[in-house]
Amino acid sequence: MKVFFLFSDFYRKTIAASFLLALCFVLASCSNGEKDGAILRIGMIEEPRTLNIWLASDANSRKVISLIYQPLYTYDPDTLDLAPWLAQSMPEYDPETISYTVQLRPAKWSDGTEVTAHDVVFTVDLIKDFQVPRYYSQWQFVKKTVAIDEKTVRFYLAEPRAIFLTRTLVNYIVPKSQWAPIAEKAKTMANPLIALMNARVEKPLGSGPYVLAQWREGAFLHLVKNDHFFGSGIEISNRKLGPHADAILFKIYGTADVGVLALKKDTIDFFWWSIQPGYIEDLEKDENTKVYLSDRSALYYMGFNVRKPPFSDPAFRRAANTVIDKNFIIERVLQGYAARMDSIVPSENLFWYEEHLPRYGQGLSRDDRIKKAHRLLSENGYTWETAPVNRSGEVVTPSRILLPDGRPMDDFTILTPPADYDPARATCGVIIQEWLKDLGIPASARPMSFGALLQRIKDRHDFDTFILGYGQLALDPDYLRSFFHSANNRPGGWNMSGYSNPEFDRLADESVQAMDPRIRQELIRKMQQVVMEDVPYIPLYNPAAIEAVGEKRFTGWEQMIDGIGNIWSICRVKSTEADM
Amino acid sequence: MTITSNRHAAYSMENVIDKKTRRSYKRQRFSAGWSLFYKNMVGKIGLYLLILFGAMALASYIPPLVDPMYHPMTGVDPLISYASPPSWRHWLGTDNIGRDIFSQLLTGARVAFLVGVSAAFISIVLGTLIGMIAGYGGRIADSLLMRFADMIMVMPSLLVILLLSVLFGQLSIWIIVILIALFRWPAVARVIRSQTLTLKKRPFVDMARVAGASHIRIIFRHILPNVLPMALLYMTFRVTSAIIVEAALAFLGFGDPNTVSWGMMLQWVWKTGHMFQAPYWLLPPGICISLITLSFYMMGRAMEEVLDPRLRKIQKADYAAS
Repeated sequence: MKVFFLFSDFYRKTIAASFLLALCFVLASCSNGEKDGAILRIGMIEEPRTLNIWLASDANSRKVISLIYQPLYTYDPDTLDLAPWLAQSMPEYDPETISYTVQLRPAKWSDGTEVTAHDVVFTVDLIKDFQVPRYYSQWQFVKKTVAIDEKTVRFYLAEPRAIFLTRTLVNYIVPKSQWAPIAEKAKTMANPLIALMNARVEKPLGSGPYVLAQWREGAFLHLVKNDHFFGSGIEISNRKLGPHADAILFKIYGTADVGVLALKKDTIDFFWWSIQPGYIEDLEKDENTKVYLSDRSALYYMGFNVRKPPFSDPAFRRAANTVIDKNFIIERVLQGYAARMDSIVPSENLFWYEEHLPRYGQGLSRDDRIKKAHRLLSENGYTWETAPVNRSGEVVTPSRILLPDGRPMDDFTILTPPADYDPARATCGVIIQEWLKDLGIPASARPMSFGALLQRIKDRHDFDTFILGYGQLALDPDYLRSFFHSANNRPGGWNMSGYSNPEFDRLADESVQAMDPRIRQELIRKMQQVVMEDVPYIPLYNPAAIEAVGEKRFTGWEQMIDGIGNIWSICRVKSTEADM
Repeated sequence: MTITSNRHAAYSMENVIDKKTRRSYKRQRFSAGWSLFYKNMVGKIGLYLLILFGAMALASYIPPLVDPMYHPMTGVDPLISYASPPSWRHWLGTDNIGRDIFSQLLTGARVAFLVGVSAAFISIVLGTLIGMIAGYGGRIADSLLMRFADMIMVMPSLLVILLLSVLFGQLSIWIIVILIALFRWPAVARVIRSQTLTLKKRPFVDMARVAGASHIRIIFRHILPNVLPMALLYMTFRVTSAIIVEAALAFLGFGDPNTVSWGMMLQWVWKTGHMFQAPYWLLPPGICISLITLSFYMMGRAMEEVLDPRLRKIQKADYAAS
């Protein structure tokens, strides 16, 4: 009996102890939960490849980097004009010396040291010394950068450049104290640029609202509030900045499905990725989630290899443009969440967009499009054994098209990214293939992995046609020059089509130096006219950014072009629990 | 003259009778096998399912004739431009660009048969040939061919095909069929080889050899007919695996974009974000893939019982006991 009592006593104690322990756990997790209220949890589709700013080129790395490093100027969310960020005010231009003087704001790096003009000079010199690929083209015309005093920096330009304000000054500034030793060491290596780009920066020193606390690879990134952030409590572009969340936790979900599910289950507060229209209905039904639809500055297009016939013939390209039903693509494939594009510059970019451009096939029925394209082709020497339009004017199934020299056209491919990467573009490929077949043009869509695709198109020029897109076109349309200037028609160059037109080249060269916005606007609009007359690229659509947030814990997202995932949102979202 | 012609006549008469008896023997064997197969519940269900899918594949030619909007790939409903649930106009609803899911499902059956049967057939032909040569040839031929088979057998076929499609861009449906066949013959070759090893020691092979038959004649005339049932049995299992590999490839985004297969349908529903929103789009192809593979598997199991009397023993013992 005694033994039994002893035993039962032991049992009682054990049970009591384990109960206490369990209680502790519950309490601990509760207190954790309360603390979580201040953590902004953001879902990402893929892990950032690197946090080395010089190497980072993928969208996810750039997202994290944008919270750590800051530029001198950024875009105002309402007007999209330049807004001083690290800079105190707008730059002063001196036309005599072709120089810009920029005054810096009182700002500190995350280790508490001042952000000085020397950091700016160091950043520019580093980009120019190493010819860092992503940034060099934007800084190469800057002859000299001088620190006038601790907080004043002056840029001397080799010649007047319109893109200096809109493109160059929005680049990030890095701390000299952290990067100078790395750069020195890299210079001693056989290939300094590679050494610089592969340098591992465990704790990037930044001037942004957050700094990296921990990156557990394959699991999460933990960023904590930067106490030295210059923007805390001040007002820029009529917006009072925070940040209000104590920390940011980036969670990585391999697919959009899981990310959306996490949002619905309240595991994350924001999924930083443009999702497919299919999710919208479901997310809107859920009262805790909200969907933001934003305009984008993007271009999705079909490109031709104009180096080879018959794609070298503008008439052929115009006919192809005529037969493509862009409204069908937008209404069906993109479920209406996109804008039609008739120029390389998105129509939302009002200042630069040219309105008076040829509208091939717009508003025509399928039969009328085929008839118009048929007319265009036959006027230019193309023939058929059975033409797409018969003598009585009816549309019929044609035989293979014969080129002006009488040879039947060879089979060719429309290269697209795989459905896995972008279902819309892969579907477009198949649909356009069918439309071209209506003219007897033997096309076949061929999705291929993105890396191989880009290599074939950009580096080897081994392709016929392709469908690609630029997800984030700059607001300044200098890209027109990059895409179509004949000087960029080289392996690895941005003129992937191989387009060459002396008139366009002349206009493009003039536009670079035109400092008067009105004159530049006119030149840019003329360039659009020339390109759309020759159609080396057929612009297809500009999709909307569809983003979703959980509204339970954070509110106050800032919507601007390209969506709500921007520095303004991160600096301004507030925890709903803090208000209570 | 007359005598010889009579003798000829007698000989040919005998030949006819011989052929007749042989044919009737074959018929008898077939009907015995068939009744065994048909008695088997598993086999019966498999067969009915297969007939259903066969009918679906044949019916896939009908919808585009009714209206061009029912074309599985290019036809879209002019009034519907979003994923819509089942209706009278579209029995299983439409996908996100307004294509009819039912006609896609029917076409999917056709593609499944095409992929499954042709890949299985090629792998069976390869496997049987290599198995017979290895088993009959013995020694070096045997070792070489079987080690080669081992090498292919341990390769993760789905992974290798995925890699190939990443390297060479999207593969067409026929290339996928051939690749599946090339990876799936070794198991067949092993079974056929072991059968051939027992067969070649049998008296009828010795007799053929004594009568002066060449190796090729022995292999194709005497051994092949005896291993053929086994090969056909394995074909049913190969069909299953070929269909699953094709579906997996398509689902992962490496299928032929110009073909409407069930795996492709699953990929569309997944990638366009309708996985949890459109069960009428997600479930039919999934169920069809499961059922068609199940039907081939069930048929295989029943055929196995017909071919291998050892599997039937328990049943017989049951009869004896009763």
